[in-house]
Amino acid sequence: MAVSPKATDFFAASEAGAADHELQRKLESASARHLEHFAEVRDEFTPYENERATARAIKENALGRLDELIVELTEKLTDHDCKVFFAASADEAREYIVKLATQCGARHVVKGKSMTTEEIALNPALERAGIEVLETDLGEYIVQLRGEPPSHIITPAIHLSKEDIGELFHEKFRVSYTPEPEKLTAEARTRLRESFLRADFGITGVNFAIAETGTLVVVENEGNGRMSSTIPEVFVALMGIEKVIPKLSDLPHFLEILARTATGQKLTTYTNFLRGPRADGDLDGPREMHVVIIDNGRSAMLSDPVLRESLMCIRCGACLNVCPVYRHIGGHAYRSPYPGPIGSIVSPSLIGSSTAYLPFASTLCGACKDVCPVHIDIPRILLHLRWKETSSPAPPPWPHDAHRARAGARMFARLARYPRIIRFLGHIAAVLVKPFAENGWIGSMPPPFANWTKVRDFPAPRPGHPRPANSAGKSIRNGRS
Amino acid sequence: MADLSDIVARVKDALGSSARGDLAEIDANGAPLHALSANDRAELATQFGHELKSVAGDYLGICRADEAAARIAALAAETGVRTAAIGEGVAIDTGAIATALETEGISVLRTAPGVDADNRTQTLRRVADADMGIAEADCAIASTGTLAVVSTVSRPSSLTLLPPSSVILVNVDRLVRDIAAAVATLGANEIANHRVTLITGPSRTADIEKRIVLGVHGPKSLHVLIVWPRDE
Repeated sequence: MAVSPKATDFFAASEAGAADHELQRKLESASARHLEHFAEVRDEFTPYENERATARAIKENALGRLDELIVELTEKLTDHDCKVFFAASADEAREYIVKLATQCGARHVVKGKSMTTEEIALNPALERAGIEVLETDLGEYIVQLRGEPPSHIITPAIHLSKEDIGELFHEKFRVSYTPEPEKLTAEARTRLRESFLRADFGITGVNFAIAETGTLVVVENEGNGRMSSTIPEVFVALMGIEKVIPKLSDLPHFLEILARTATGQKLTTYTNFLRGPRADGDLDGPREMHVVIIDNGRSAMLSDPVLRESLMCIRCGACLNVCPVYRHIGGHAYRSPYPGPIGSIVSPSLIGSSTAYLPFASTLCGACKDVCPVHIDIPRILLHLRWKETSSPAPPPWPHDAHRARAGARMFARLARYPRIIRFLGHIAAVLVKPFAENGWIGSMPPPFANWTKVRDFPAPRPGHPRPANSAGKSIRNGRS
Repeated sequence: MADLSDIVARVKDALGSSARGDLAEIDANGAPLHALSANDRAELATQFGHELKSVAGDYLGICRADEAAARIAALAAETGVRTAAIGEGVAIDTGAIATALETEGISVLRTAPGVDADNRTQTLRRVADADMGIAEADCAIASTGTLAVVSTVSRPSSLTLLPPSSVILVNVDRLVRDIAAAVATLGANEIANHRVTLITGPSRTADIEKRIVLGVHGPKSLHVLIVWPRDE
């Protein structure tokens, strides 16, 4: 990565997100539409709860014997004439793919949507090697044209309105402005179709890898993954080690839940089963197929009994759509290809210390845990990661002074046994803070309270209401203004 | 650079000594496949048609095997098709369809028996330039309106990917209830040895304000005809 973001960048980015009311409107309307579709397909599918439990049990089992499954998968893929490469780190995976593309003389790379390629920052590396790389998922294509990273793992351009995209196409392609999604999609289709037909190198991610049959399953709606794996002469699939499932008969349990939670569909338009390069006489498929299996922090997650659960994630993105923090600040504020609740628990391991603050950026409301199709207990993992960060020898710049916070909490716990004292102190505090109140809110206070008000607002006490009516944050006030 | 043994060692190390005997055996096998009666099949076909329509597919209904060619030729003529690409069938004779199309004055590109590596790029372009691709599915899933297409030398799956209009026939005997039954019907062998695609409706996106638009990279329209091979 060219610029490595600092942990404290999160504050600026999240404040910018929280102040962008237009962004919140877009996120709220997209989330609402998603939740509506999801509720429909969930309610009419009675085995949903059973499928969730089964899928979780399969993942639990698979992770418990992941070493054996990786061996089995590798044997099968090798039998199918795939070249399997193992990358311990993002650097190794990136270098392998760039070197391969260079050796093949690749000039036009087409990519299906893949978060793992974002994780290893593949595009800039290919571009530095002088190779054109084109994102072909419509949302990814749009954000690539804007020179931005995706802001949602399922809907990369969720932060943009159709008008934004209309203007982008008008500016980049010199076509007349239109905000109509149908026309914008048709324009992208024409341009990308030509790119697909001349592409010499294709890359996609992997949703599931079946050890028993040596099959890589790529799930998608547009056909970008299908195109990228069908047309180019050389094809690379990049997958994390945790994507392996044992048997073919395990797969339907995941397919039954993934599209429902991800997009509110019963099944995605295309479920691609890839097994290796094409045979003699075949029209479809690459001449050469490479599978890059990447660790990059995953085995460390596996060794942590609490964090291990986060490897069960099937990347449906539902937790982003229900998260009050994500819906308020947007995906870019997380400064990680994996935003939202799931991003907050996997980024510190997969992306690194620049995201160590993310577990703190949560209200622990638990909506993510409820919606997660494989029941990942995200709040528990967030707390675990907070504990790990604050008890490590070099704690991050935030939160400051965990020991002082703890001492304060202890003092409060002692005082709280005496309601009269608390009420009395409350009255005194109400009088003291009165001069700082503005429009019913306290937005800034002198030290030592300044650190608190820097990131939060407090409702001003009202006569006869010693307790605040609610303890809403800075952005809610902004939302009302 | 890491190799298999490094990765396996890392994972083994991460898993520690946790007892593997404790791992619950997953009974993930779907319900056993039952032979279906003619009534069951008619019911599955109805459900399939309903689900296909809900994903914006065009359900052409059920016809007898000897009617299929005429139905497809009529559809091609109605929608202004000038060239159509077609492969071999699975259980249905697609030769008759090709002939019927040619009778309508439509030029037909046949992908059987396969292509030379030298002609591959050209053939892909020709398939992409066809107005309609015609293929037969190996299996269809009633609960989701899905078609399973196995790609072989004589019936490449790009027939259902590249042309803007996709026509897929499926034999009524190949209808199954759900995804698990489809995977079991296709079987581990077939899936280990071929590229397989499950297709549920025309290509679509919801990337612009979560609004559904059809025909991003794959077909803009999908027409499905169920073929009833016997007189029942």
